[in-house]
Amino acid sequence: MGEGRQAPNWVLISLMLAAGAAWLTLDVVSVAPNRIVPGTPHVALGILGGVPAILLVLPMLAVTLLAWHPTRKGLWLSLASVTGVLTLLPLWLAAATAMLVDPDLPQARVGLGSAIWVLLFLLLLALIELRTRLGLSRPMGWLLLIPMLLAWWLSLVLWLEPLALQREYQARSDQFADALLTHLTLVGAAVGASLILASLLALAMRRHPGVRRMGFAALNFLQTIPSLALFGLLLAPLAWLASRFEGLASIGVSGIGWAPAFLALLGYSLLPMVRNIHVALEEVDPAVIESAHGMGMSRRQVFIQVRLPLALPVVLEGVRITTVQAIGLTAVAALIGAGGLGTFIFQGLGQAAMDMVLLGALPIIALALMADALIGFLSERLRPGGLE
Amino acid sequence: MPVVWLSLLLLLTVGIEQMEWLFRLLEPDKRQVIYARASFFALLMQHVLVVGIASLLAVIIGVGAAIAVTRPAGRDFLPLVSQLASIGQTFPPVAVLALAVPVLGFGTLPIIVALLLYGLLPIVRNTLAGIGGIEPEMREAARAMGITPGQILRQVELPLAAPVILAGIRTSVTINIATAALGATVGASNLGDPIISGIVNGNTAYIVQGALLIGLLALTVDSAFERLVRQRQLTPAHG
Repeated sequence: MGEGRQAPNWVLISLMLAAGAAWLTLDVVSVAPNRIVPGTPHVALGILGGVPAILLVLPMLAVTLLAWHPTRKGLWLSLASVTGVLTLLPLWLAAATAMLVDPDLPQARVGLGSAIWVLLFLLLLALIELRTRLGLSRPMGWLLLIPMLLAWWLSLVLWLEPLALQREYQARSDQFADALLTHLTLVGAAVGASLILASLLALAMRRHPGVRRMGFAALNFLQTIPSLALFGLLLAPLAWLASRFEGLASIGVSGIGWAPAFLALLGYSLLPMVRNIHVALEEVDPAVIESAHGMGMSRRQVFIQVRLPLALPVVLEGVRITTVQAIGLTAVAALIGAGGLGTFIFQGLGQAAMDMVLLGALPIIALALMADALIGFLSERLRPGGLE
Repeated sequence: MPVVWLSLLLLLTVGIEQMEWLFRLLEPDKRQVIYARASFFALLMQHVLVVGIASLLAVIIGVGAAIAVTRPAGRDFLPLVSQLASIGQTFPPVAVLALAVPVLGFGTLPIIVALLLYGLLPIVRNTLAGIGGIEPEMREAARAMGITPGQILRQVELPLAAPVILAGIRTSVTINIATAALGATVGASNLGDPIISGIVNGNTAYIVQGALLIGLLALTVDSAFERLVRQRQLTPAHG
């Protein structure tokens, strides 16, 4: 790799030029005196004389120039620049808010404009690209986000009270905590129950080929049914059961609420879980099992001490897929009264209150990404000879 | 199998009004037990149309993008596109649908765009995996025979990658059918409508009608893909 002789990195160049253009031309924020009146849009160049906006463009230009002859040092510098812009963005926003919002209007709110979203999206893409080019590990990539997240958190706490998203949150912070807890409980219960049930099923499948064929056919069938339809179809029989048996009704089983949500989530979770557990147990190298037997281990010992540890990473992979899927499906379950973060999405859509939709959608995406990263990392770690 | 599901679907779409007595059992006290704001046939057509347009565009753009980034000219973009496709699939479809509304407004268009964007991911990912999984020797051999790069793509790469690409399209369409139903909450009228309306009005009969039809639609399409995959396995690929 000769210094300065590399071909231009067109990915970074196009990302940065697009980001710069979007930042300078699209609406950055819209300011409204209260929740009902539509806001007045502003562009970045019109705020604080445009100087801070231009200053924020400079690192992006630097990345563009560095990408012309990419060197390793240049890539590191670019990484610092992109992280820098991402960290400065909320601070810029705080300054703009202080400038634009009339302190005499306690209801005034600032909505994020398309420029901010586009900029965030393109800069995060640039971060992924730089991480790949520099060969940094996935956990390292997550660490890179810390300064940016800290800056956002700090700004939200100290200066960004008029941000519409923040206002929506403050108006229902108790409700939000409740919804988050319900969401996590439902996901946790469904994934936990499906792990137990799927293990039993997978063990039964190993014994009986008939169970395997029937089981996979049934689970595949279930997985094909759209979530809204399955929630709906469970509603009728559960309502009927609850009206027949008082015991069921007294523990909270009814046509709507957590019961159909839990059952549907469990049903959807079973296929990926059973499939992975089955594959995990089947795919352990027969030679390893053979030698374990040769060492005088009993069947049970082989299963617990050899087969299970070797199968664990693949099983965790199933847990990862299932958890990410369940986080999304639980959002849909809000429609049948199961609660959770989806409540904000559907209430917000009903009231055409977009910031309330965001209050539901953004945490759901964050949860899905975090679950994916955490469990993925864990399964990587447990893989024999995994991370060094 | 697809024929069975399809006939059941059509039969139920046309004949649901005749089954009033059955739904009467479900909701004996309601004045109306058959969803009547729109005909089920119109709802079904709307659903199929939205999913069809979004999926068709997703296939064209997704396969096109994956081909573009595996050519020498676009290879720079390969790592980013492939990472984006796998990270994007972590996003729940509901959240993507919800985020499309603030940007694009209520109605059918935001749903088509949201379905298109989300549907791209499995197609791009699988096309990349399919083309990337071809052994280099195959390409070398083709090149040695003096075939042009365009011919290599059409006669070697795409036929060999076809099963994996098809699996991606299947995933994409299945998710789209389910997500489109949620579109009823953002103002599109399709088979999700009776379900949402049933939940709002507490009418289980509506819910069951919508749920049955969506379920049958999903099964019809999925079994059609199943059939397609099996046929491909039976007839050896030319190439």
